[in-house]
Amino acid sequence: MKVTRITATLAAFALALTACGGDDGDDAPGADDNGNGAAEEGDEPEVQRGGAYTTIITGLHATAPPNPYNPDGNSFAGYNSVRLAWVKNHPTSPTEFYPGLASEWEVTDDNLELTVTLHPDATWSDGTPVTADDVVVSSNIAYTRGSGAFILDPGAAGAASDIEVIDDKTVQFTQDPENPTREFVNGIMNMIIVPAHIYGDLLPDDFDELLQAARGEDDAADDAREAISEAGEDVVSFAPEEDISAGPYVLERINPSEALLVRNEHFHNDHLVAPDQVIARNYDGNEQVWDYLQAGELDSSHFVAVPEDVVQQIEARPGNEASRTYSPVVAGLAFNQTYEPFDDINVRRALAYIIDREQMVAVSTPDGGTAATTTSGIHQEVVGEWIGDTVGDLDPYAVDLDRAAEELEAAGLSEENGRWVLPDGDPFSVPIQVPGGFSDWIAAGENIATQLNEFGIDSEIRTSPDFTVYQEEMTNGEYPVGFWLIGLGPSPYNIYQRLYGSSNGWEVLAGRLSYNEPGESGNWKGGPETYDVEGHGEVNPGELAHELRTADEERTHEIMTILAQTTNEHLPVIQMWDYVNTQFSNTDRFITDPPDDARRVTGVTSLAGIWIQQGWVTAVN
Amino acid sequence: MTSPGMVDVTTKGPSMRRNFWRGVWRVMLRKPSRLFGVALLGLFIFMATLGPVLYGRPLPRDPDNFFAPPSLQHPFGTDFQGFDVLALVVIGSRYVLLTALITAIVTIVLGASIGLFAGYRRGRLDAVLMRITDINLTIPGIPILLVLSTVWQFASPWEMGLVLGLLGWGALARAVRSQTLSLRERGFIEAARGLGLSTPHIVVRELLPPIAPYIAMNLLMSMILAVWAQVGLFFLGVMPVIGENWGVMLNRAVFDFGAMTTASRLPYMLAPLLALLLLTVAIVLVVDAMDEIFNPRLREE
Amino acid sequence: MTRRLAGQLVRGLVMVWVVLTFTFVIISIMPGDPVGAAYENLIQQGYSPDQAAAETAMMHRFQPTGNIAEQYLEYMGSLARFDLGQSMYTRVDVGDMLLDAAKWTVIPVLLGTILSFGLGVFIGVYAAIKRSSKLGDALTMSGSLLRGIPDFVVGLILAAIFATLWPVLPRSGAVDILYEPGFNLDYILSLGYHAILPVATYTISAYGGFILAMKSSVVTVLGDDFILAAELRGMKRSIIFRYIARNAILPLFTVFALSVAAVFSGAIFIERIFNYPGLGMLLINSIGRRDITVMAGALLLITIAVIIANIIADMFYSVIDPRIRRAGERV
Repeated sequence: MKVTRITATLAAFALALTACGGDDGDDAPGADDNGNGAAEEGDEPEVQRGGAYTTIITGLHATAPPNPYNPDGNSFAGYNSVRLAWVKNHPTSPTEFYPGLASEWEVTDDNLELTVTLHPDATWSDGTPVTADDVVVSSNIAYTRGSGAFILDPGAAGAASDIEVIDDKTVQFTQDPENPTREFVNGIMNMIIVPAHIYGDLLPDDFDELLQAARGEDDAADDAREAISEAGEDVVSFAPEEDISAGPYVLERINPSEALLVRNEHFHNDHLVAPDQVIARNYDGNEQVWDYLQAGELDSSHFVAVPEDVVQQIEARPGNEASRTYSPVVAGLAFNQTYEPFDDINVRRALAYIIDREQMVAVSTPDGGTAATTTSGIHQEVVGEWIGDTVGDLDPYAVDLDRAAEELEAAGLSEENGRWVLPDGDPFSVPIQVPGGFSDWIAAGENIATQLNEFGIDSEIRTSPDFTVYQEEMTNGEYPVGFWLIGLGPSPYNIYQRLYGSSNGWEVLAGRLSYNEPGESGNWKGGPETYDVEGHGEVNPGELAHELRTADEERTHEIMTILAQTTNEHLPVIQMWDYVNTQFSNTDRFITDPPDDARRVTGVTSLAGIWIQQGWVTAVN
Repeated sequence: MTSPGMVDVTTKGPSMRRNFWRGVWRVMLRKPSRLFGVALLGLFIFMATLGPVLYGRPLPRDPDNFFAPPSLQHPFGTDFQGFDVLALVVIGSRYVLLTALITAIVTIVLGASIGLFAGYRRGRLDAVLMRITDINLTIPGIPILLVLSTVWQFASPWEMGLVLGLLGWGALARAVRSQTLSLRERGFIEAARGLGLSTPHIVVRELLPPIAPYIAMNLLMSMILAVWAQVGLFFLGVMPVIGENWGVMLNRAVFDFGAMTTASRLPYMLAPLLALLLLTVAIVLVVDAMDEIFNPRLREE
Repeated sequence: MTRRLAGQLVRGLVMVWVVLTFTFVIISIMPGDPVGAAYENLIQQGYSPDQAAAETAMMHRFQPTGNIAEQYLEYMGSLARFDLGQSMYTRVDVGDMLLDAAKWTVIPVLLGTILSFGLGVFIGVYAAIKRSSKLGDALTMSGSLLRGIPDFVVGLILAAIFATLWPVLPRSGAVDILYEPGFNLDYILSLGYHAILPVATYTISAYGGFILAMKSSVVTVLGDDFILAAELRGMKRSIIFRYIARNAILPLFTVFALSVAAVFSGAIFIERIFNYPGLGMLLINSIGRRDITVMAGALLLITIAVIIANIIADMFYSVIDPRIRRAGERV
């Protein structure tokens, strides 16, 4: 993996230059001297300031309000919308953060209590200080949306996150010891914080009572839950008159193709913020981003699929550079095992042996992924961290056409005139379903079809008009074979939830795990409820995956090992490629140099705002 | 615009027919570009009918040579999987031309019959048919098709052609009606009615022939519109961008593979674009020739 | 005349009703679950499954309820009150979104058609007068060809030349955000700079129709006795020319109105090619995201615009053609 690292030295140089010149920070240094804190490079440096920083954003709507709860609002995480903290992309630990509004946080050893201290200087752009009150209102709003650790369902893991105000800047969260979850801290730290004096009125006055009532299991509780969710509708539709931000920027104006954000002088870490302005350019198609990058107009861009030739052209432009880091997502080819012969493990194995994943990646996404070395359900970058040496025991499914033929014969298929036919004499055909608009999936699917045809299996690609249809029809069990994202790290539960979750029948209702038969309630993969796994006997992967929510570290590794082997042996999906997070930046106007684990932050696409507020962007003069 | 005084074609006789073909040849020779148009159209028809047969399945490809630059072996280079772009254009012509043909047929059948009957019958039927025609004329076809594509994927040329035809017959109906109205007042129709001939007989035997050349030209024009609409719809990418079709090629070239971003990949986009342009040119030239053949007033000028 | 206009308006309303019903039917049988799509979209962006589920949970509450008949009545009822509903995603009034997008379509389309009109009329007169010469013939041919070439092909070719091979013009965006919106030179220049390619595409693709129409109109006028008489009397050429143009241009207004309708419809392609944020782009994006209220609204607005252009064309037609003026609806 090639990573461009010239910037590190350059940036260090620039920082050293500017460190002596700046005004004395009005911040108490050491705000982040707690172990989890930010800015790794020594004491708070001053950055070279000034200029307009250009980056990209998608789905910009000139008419949408600057409301962070609006699904398409003009409130951009990291710029004019803030959270308590930003979740690091640590390969195996989901609970590491960069500070947002919180400057300190402390978790008890039993993972039941979290104490968060807000940055002492945190202030809204209208001059009002950020207080514990804002956190309370924000967490109440989180309840109306049922997000993160704020779920109203009685019995659901993490349902009863109680909040207690310790003082003006300190709050304490407690989770239910009966039903704890490992996501507890993560869910709270990731919470969006909005000003109580703007959003407070959207909630009913008796919200606290409603919340209490909602935790019961009677009819009154149902009514209370409904009332709370209704309040959520108002929150989503709310259009504040002006943008009040506690982030480094405030929305200044917006047109259908660009948004202009200007410096928020009140931001508590304003001395770390280099650019005076941020221009977020909208894109509706990736080709726009390619054009901008090629012209050297973007100071940084997040990951978008880029064709190989275009990558070369972009990199050839002086000032442009690429960074390629771990991206915790894996593309898999999933089977619906209610369709014959895909219920036959031999057939699935045969397909795994036929498909040349290297060629497929070269065709479809040479810069966005690396061909999967094996099928484990886990991104190859972190598979060793989770299952250790047992990686070596997994079948790599390298291209082996003879082996494939053997497997097909074992499944009762035979070859006639160079084409494979099913036991009943019908030709064996593999329709590969992809959603329209996913160019890498479409190209990959077409290449797989080409390869299968060249092997002697009828195969064609079919598209759904878009992802909405794809999603629905897939869930309805209409596709025998289709693409599916798996291995969503870093949380181990998330990794296997995509494989042995609702898509395969295991559903969490009211905190309890239940199993739906194939073809029912969204169980479209239709695999068996238990597998016979070599060396582990009968395995119920859904139960194991669910256990990952609460399991301790040792048990987690154990479960991950079993699930990786189950996946490898039984292939509910064939792992196709592991995504690479390719990002571009330009050094003409700014040096953008975030650490690798800030190259992808949970729930944030356009990351420059986070990088800027941590001081990882500096202006070039 | 064109008034068909097609007495020489309706009078059927071997010598007349010979004269007619001689006239056609003369018109062709007057502007050699017309011959070129006819040849080009012939080439496209050949591509659409025999092209897919010429290339065997699975298509030969060069898996080590993605996006090869144009060469003798691959005049327009190769695509993202190493398939010859020219082969894809040839194979893609079938969907495009077949759709266009079906659209044209649907347009002609609906447009001509509605126009003929409305014009001949007059009265209430005419009024109703013309109101429907007005509505058909006002329908913004492309946006409607876009919305329709959310529920209908137009996988086969038949479906696509049918819908395009259903959306596009209005102009022909109106034109045929006005031609019928003027023919209706002519002596030979009066005579036929006097003889007590049935309506279908008069419409099919007496009215249709003089209007036929006009309809034939319309057939070609509606083919242009059909090609335009279907390739455009696939290009937009709202419909599934899969299949052998020029619009799909354009879409993938521009939106997936950076044909507009790097000049080196431009041939991948230019190939279907060029095919589209040449097909348009061919049809326009043939229509130009037909216009002169069937429109004696123009010939005299 | 008034009766004719009234008839046209009634027909227009019927048309709107047809399109609305069509949209409603499409929406109610449309497959695809916007909430599920939004969920997977968030997953793609790096949200965890739980977080994505939470983020999209609220959207379920905005899904329509009730049976088909009730939904239809409510849909028609709210439209009758000019309430187009709210976007599924932004929760913004669809009317506001449409107004915002419409200005980016209407102004370039009108500008392009007007330019094209001027160009087409001028060249059309010339082609008619010189119709026996090689140049006149070539000009007519260029008209026929350009009328046959789809607007998106023109757009792609212009983009390939001016944005790829010789990258001097932008292929994205509407205006630079750094300039204060209003009547200042920088802002207007930036608007113009971004609009050049779309407007040029509209101009070129509409121009073929104008040339042909103008030419045939002039040829008709040239046959008038007046011209013959004037020529015999040895009148000044420029005066004759003016007479020809004035009389021949009237029918062109009909063509102009119809052209606006056609270009308006075709703007969908051009806006996609140049990523220009008008109604077409709004329609495409709303279809892609199954934002049904916006989709219905955009389709409705485009339909109404096309209907109005058609009515105007018809009015021009009846004003110009005295036979129609006299005979009313008879012919």
